Amino acid sequence: MGDFPRIVEKLCEASKKEYANPYSAMEWPEALDPEGWFMSPELLSIYGMPEYDRLTEGEKKKLSFYETVNFFSLNIHGEKSLVEGLARQLYQKGNQELSPYLHHFLDEENKHMIYFGGFCTRYAGKIYRDRKMVFPRDYAPGEEGFLFFAKVLIFEEIVDLYNVKMSKDARLAPIARQINLSHHRDEMRHLVFGRNLVKELFQRYAAVWPPEVVQEVRRYLAGYISATWKEYYNPDVYKDAGLEDPYRLQERAFANPRAQAHRKKISEGCIRYFLENNILEEEPVL
Amino acid sequence: MKTELEIRKALRDWIVKTNGKIRPENLTDETPIIEQRIISSLQVMDLLLFLEQLTGKSVDVEKLKPGIFQNVNTLYENFFRKESYVY
Ligand SMILES: [Fe+2]
Ligand SMILES: [Fe+2]
Repeated sequence: MGDFPRIVEKLCEASKKEYANPYSAMEWPEALDPEGWFMSPELLSIYGMPEYDRLTEGEKKKLSFYETVNFFSLNIHGEKSLVEGLARQLYQKGNQELSPYLHHFLDEENKHMIYFGGFCTRYAGKIYRDRKMVFPRDYAPGEEGFLFFAKVLIFEEIVDLYNVKMSKDARLAPIARQINLSHHRDEMRHLVFGRNLVKELFQRYAAVWPPEVVQEVRRYLAGYISATWKEYYNPDVYKDAGLEDPYRLQERAFANPRAQAHRKKISEGCIRYFLENNILEEEPVL
Repeated sequence: MKTELEIRKALRDWIVKTNGKIRPENLTDETPIIEQRIISSLQVMDLLLFLEQLTGKSVDVEKLKPGIFQNVNTLYENFFRKESYVY
């Protein structure tokens, strides 16, 4: 396991120091300023497209509100299954050393849902639905656990770059910046944990998996990165923002070369990690 | 409004296009698309978007069960004839 137990110990210490009360951590305004930005314009899913350029300033801001609700909703869905999976891992055989940190992980993800859910329900009155589905199937030994943590890592890597950018963006409404910042502060630790654990699990199991399992794991993860991105382009958002032909727009936005370059840039560090650790052998198509 | 035949054909065309390898003559309305890995669980997300476009309605994702994605027949039954999963 190498340095991992030491890292886990340090992360636990840091989590205790950062321990937050989710009911006093945020300053929720009574209502949002309709003149405000909630997501950085450059991160909006249709940024740079003619459909975006045509919008008035007010319409762009309205879109930024619904894109934020989508971004926060994605986080809630990711965190819901994360919490489920973490709870399952807790005190499982072989996880003794991880369990103290899993308690923090669970605690922090629950708090994130309070922040994200607080924003969505207070100001939008809803959370967007999740179109991702997982079908039950059989797994090789260790495969399910490995895929679980690898998927969490991919998801958190992408989210974190958005969080960092938006926590620094002075154009955004204070509450949006605050939520992004406090999420990032916890996610820094989750990423350290994930990067160490995923690498270690892959080394441990890939050596004993038959080649077809390794190949399937690689194929799945490559597809997962792309599927994760796809949810950033949500026709429900376009509908709420009053944009025309939301489904076509979703297809065009995802296929837009600028958007593809954006996804590549944001996922760069994450993909490099997967390549360097031989978990992926080639760059996935985004 | 599309007829049943048109909808079934649209579904098969989408599956063939999304899979990229299967030949249209090898896909019937009974071919198990998930079990035979013609469509992956990750592609089901795109399928839902396609179904929403085709029905003009929203899919109620919380109600979905894996069985309804078995083949073109089950898709037609659940999303178009019975409309049990859309609102
Ligand atoms: Fe989180
Ligand atoms: Fe996290």
